[in-house]
Amino acid sequence: MPGADKETDLTERIEAFLADLKRGGSGTGPLRGSGEMARETTYLLRRITAQARWSSAGDLMEIIRNEGRRMTAAQPSETTVGNMVRRVLKIIREEYARSRGSSEETEQQESLHKLLTAGELSEETFREHFVHLKANVIEAINELLTELDGTTDNIAMQALEHIHSNEVIMTVGRSRTVEAFLKDAARKRKFHVIVAECAPFCQGHEMATGLSKVGIETTVIADAAIFAVMSRVNKVIIGTQTVLANGGLRAVNGTHSVALAARHHSTPLIICAPMFKLSPQVFTTCSLSLNDVNSCFPVLKILSKVNVHCPVFDYVPPELITLFISNIGGNAPSYIYRLMSELYHPEDHKL
Amino acid sequence: MSSRGGKQKKGNVTSEQEEEEQPLQAVLVADSFNRRFFPISKDQPRALLPLGNVAMIDYTLEFLTSTGVQETFVFCCWMSNKIKDHLLKSKWCRPTSPNVVHIITSDLYRSLGDVLRDVDAKNLVRNDFILVYGDVVSNIDVSQALQEHRHRRKVDKNISVMTMVFKESSPGHKSRCEEDDVIVAMDSKSKRVLHYQKTQGLKKLQFPMNIFQHGSDEFEIRHDLLDCHISICSPQVAELFTDNFDYQTRNDFVRGILVNEEILGNQIHLYVTQDGYGARVSNLQMYDSVSSDMVRRWVYPLTPEANFTDQQGQGCTHSRHNVYRGAEVSLGHGSQMEENVLIGRDTSIGANCHISNSVIGNNCTIGDNVVLDRAHMWNNVHISSNVEIHQSVVCDGAVVKEAVRLNKQCYFSMLPVSQVVIGPNLSLPEGTVVSMHHPEEEEEDDDDEFLSDDQEVGHSKDKTRQKAFNPAEVGPEGKGYIWKASMNDTEDEELAQCLWGLVLNPDPESDSESEASEESQDRSRSVSPEIDDVNAFQLEVLGTLQRGLEENIVCDNLVLEINSLKYAYNITLKEVMQILTRVVLEYPFQQQGTQLTTLQYTGSLLPLLKTWSPVFKNYIKRAQDHLDCLSAVEELFLEQDTHQTAMVKVLMKMYQLEILEEEAILKWFSTGATNDKSRQLRKNQGLQKFIQWLKEAEDESSEEGE
Repeated sequence: MPGADKETDLTERIEAFLADLKRGGSGTGPLRGSGEMARETTYLLRRITAQARWSSAGDLMEIIRNEGRRMTAAQPSETTVGNMVRRVLKIIREEYARSRGSSEETEQQESLHKLLTAGELSEETFREHFVHLKANVIEAINELLTELDGTTDNIAMQALEHIHSNEVIMTVGRSRTVEAFLKDAARKRKFHVIVAECAPFCQGHEMATGLSKVGIETTVIADAAIFAVMSRVNKVIIGTQTVLANGGLRAVNGTHSVALAARHHSTPLIICAPMFKLSPQVFTTCSLSLNDVNSCFPVLKILSKVNVHCPVFDYVPPELITLFISNIGGNAPSYIYRLMSELYHPEDHKL
Repeated sequence: MSSRGGKQKKGNVTSEQEEEEQPLQAVLVADSFNRRFFPISKDQPRALLPLGNVAMIDYTLEFLTSTGVQETFVFCCWMSNKIKDHLLKSKWCRPTSPNVVHIITSDLYRSLGDVLRDVDAKNLVRNDFILVYGDVVSNIDVSQALQEHRHRRKVDKNISVMTMVFKESSPGHKSRCEEDDVIVAMDSKSKRVLHYQKTQGLKKLQFPMNIFQHGSDEFEIRHDLLDCHISICSPQVAELFTDNFDYQTRNDFVRGILVNEEILGNQIHLYVTQDGYGARVSNLQMYDSVSSDMVRRWVYPLTPEANFTDQQGQGCTHSRHNVYRGAEVSLGHGSQMEENVLIGRDTSIGANCHISNSVIGNNCTIGDNVVLDRAHMWNNVHISSNVEIHQSVVCDGAVVKEAVRLNKQCYFSMLPVSQVVIGPNLSLPEGTVVSMHHPEEEEEDDDDEFLSDDQEVGHSKDKTRQKAFNPAEVGPEGKGYIWKASMNDTEDEELAQCLWGLVLNPDPESDSESEASEESQDRSRSVSPEIDDVNAFQLEVLGTLQRGLEENIVCDNLVLEINSLKYAYNITLKEVMQILTRVVLEYPFQQQGTQLTTLQYTGSLLPLLKTWSPVFKNYIKRAQDHLDCLSAVEELFLEQDTHQTAMVKVLMKMYQLEILEEEAILKWFSTGATNDKSRQLRKNQGLQKFIQWLKEAEDESSEEGE
């Protein structure tokens, strides 16, 4: 029976993806950038849309929400997965609304006035059946995939507007987006990059070799030297793991100190972050859920009587950030909430 | 041998062709073949004991799966039903699992060797496989080691049969198991193992010179290695185990391969990793340290909050200072969870408790003012108020009443049905073991230990009820039996015990005399440091004598056996005699522990001497033999200086039994003294009297003769 085959094939794929996610950070599993992770998630969601059994948009959303919950639970630190699930849910809502004929505009616009008058936000049940819904949703997901494919290029294209000749630029650790951004600028301009090595994993070394290969003048510094070097720096350009709802960052450990040093010297801090890193999460001080604490092996070999902690991420508050550069252009941190509301439906914030 | 060679060759050709498509296989041995965790392991197999609220076997399977193993054979023996049930319920047996788990059970496995022989007999592995125990916790990425192994096998035409995975860690580190300490000589370039030796209890180490005369010019001798008990084996390993039916453990195997390297041409290699975590929970101390390493996230991503077993409701949250909380945990007012604490779901904790470095299972209730430090509590434990627990394991369903104090290294074992109750108002000393099983049952049940568990448990429960609990030991309301309260310095005792080739840790078994000899032989073999042939020979002789005693074997047959052993281990006649003397004299210590008084010692030794006198007579014939025997006796009593008074009695008995001749004794007495100690020994009053008496007797007899 082909249907059953499809079903088991699908569950197998989901399980494999979940297992990959769980082993994500260990180095034993396939280590991937968040861009790739976003794409993988979307592929999987497209497959679910195509192969799972559903008759109405409501069913489909329920299925995707369930799977999304499991995926985010498998690796809470990987927010991209949850973001992509929300994006797809939003797509389904839009396609459903379009099939029904109601304009998406009215659905989307949520002014304060409307919130006050409307009372019930959404009484929508998504139970109606449309023949073309599946095809439309898949089509829209494909569009999302093309958008994902182009993000890094879109960001890199804006490089010349921000990097000028003979500037000194500081970055921290390794970010694929920042690397592409700097490389793009290096085609036309000559500038100097200082890379903080970002111990204990020292991704900065990798970044530096990557940059020097295309002829950018690169210097690697220890994390402790960040403040001392900051006075010479014209701009700080860094990547991030997640952009939080308030415009803050969850970025690799050491970013906060870079941001504080930059603020002290009034150096602009520019974040290169594609849209899929925007997450409706907010920062809470008491929980470590934002902060993935890794195994401490790179820090120390096993010692008996020493407690070793090795947090992987820093929280950077939005006040320290000058500008976000995303694939759709530059934005101030205070505008992030707006982008967020365009990307995700408010009901999907909590999966 | 020739047929074997042919088979190997054929196997190799096919394996090379199929190498790419073959799924990676693993053999998981879910049995420890020893009883370190006794009496806990009486009710639950070791692989299912919870570590951080997850059964140990799940860690091993997760490790295998994450390294890309696609087919795992789980071999169970002791309580195989329980392991099977557990696995069938777990995520490993879901149809979507990337790692197909086959469960193979048999009551006949007695050692790792038996399992691998069965692997060979059933022809289960077709390619290189990973061999692990069911209690290995690791996050090491072995794919690198696997690649190296495969590469070597391709280049060297399958000479390499095994790659052992070791982790660098300094000696004396707490997650290094003392009994697994090894010293390895290896070729730095090819990583080939040249010499492999367990160091436990050894003061001197010897390396055969010929290992350094091989081709390579760089050697490493390393003692900074932690044995992860993960080995990558070629299919030949199973065949080699079949060929050599005396291989019981991996240790036997490694030593066998190294000794016969030139004949068979097999080599063993080493893979040393710096990062990653790998350890085997081989005794209680390791349980403690692995558990605390896990809570401290050394085994990332196998952390408690990851819920890698994918069970409903097992998830927990992780907050600062490594405090993990499951669902529905309630914490009373003023209670502190200092650091490294894991609390399972539905557990409630009273007010003003102080908890640090502990693991608490599901559904536990803990009263007010409780202090827990390095405590490991399993599920459904009830702790009343004002209890203090330090470095102890409290197993399923135990009840600890008010104001009980558990000091270091206590541990409770209990049946899931009827639980141990402790207290109130009691302080248990260090190293106490309390169980619902009566220690004496053990002796009675020994014979059917490896047989069906259900029967045995039911059977023993009946007996349990007949015996009364001792309120002085377990408190006025207590239920349970004390197994053994060992001395304060457990470390020293452990060391002493293993020097004797006995089982480590709070293992009451070492007390019981009536244990089945075969099993004790196996155990002592797997535990003891196997240094060289002489030592192995000594153990064999000991085993032979034990069996001889229990089965009433005629001395002539014993002589035959010892003779054949002599050839097997290539031992000279002189050594045979010395070892024989030594084994016999040590026998009472071996059986009843080192704490015997001199009186007890001689009491148990003298009948033995009588029984075995024909054996001695067989070996002690020439004058030189007599002297050798005497020097062996002397050597032993120099070591056991508290029992020197017993020496006279021993000599007397041996003289009476006509094992030793008087001339020899006199000669030994007058000439044998070579150093201060032995001179000191000869000044012993009793000995001098004995010699005096001998001289007189000689005079008399010579007079008579005239």
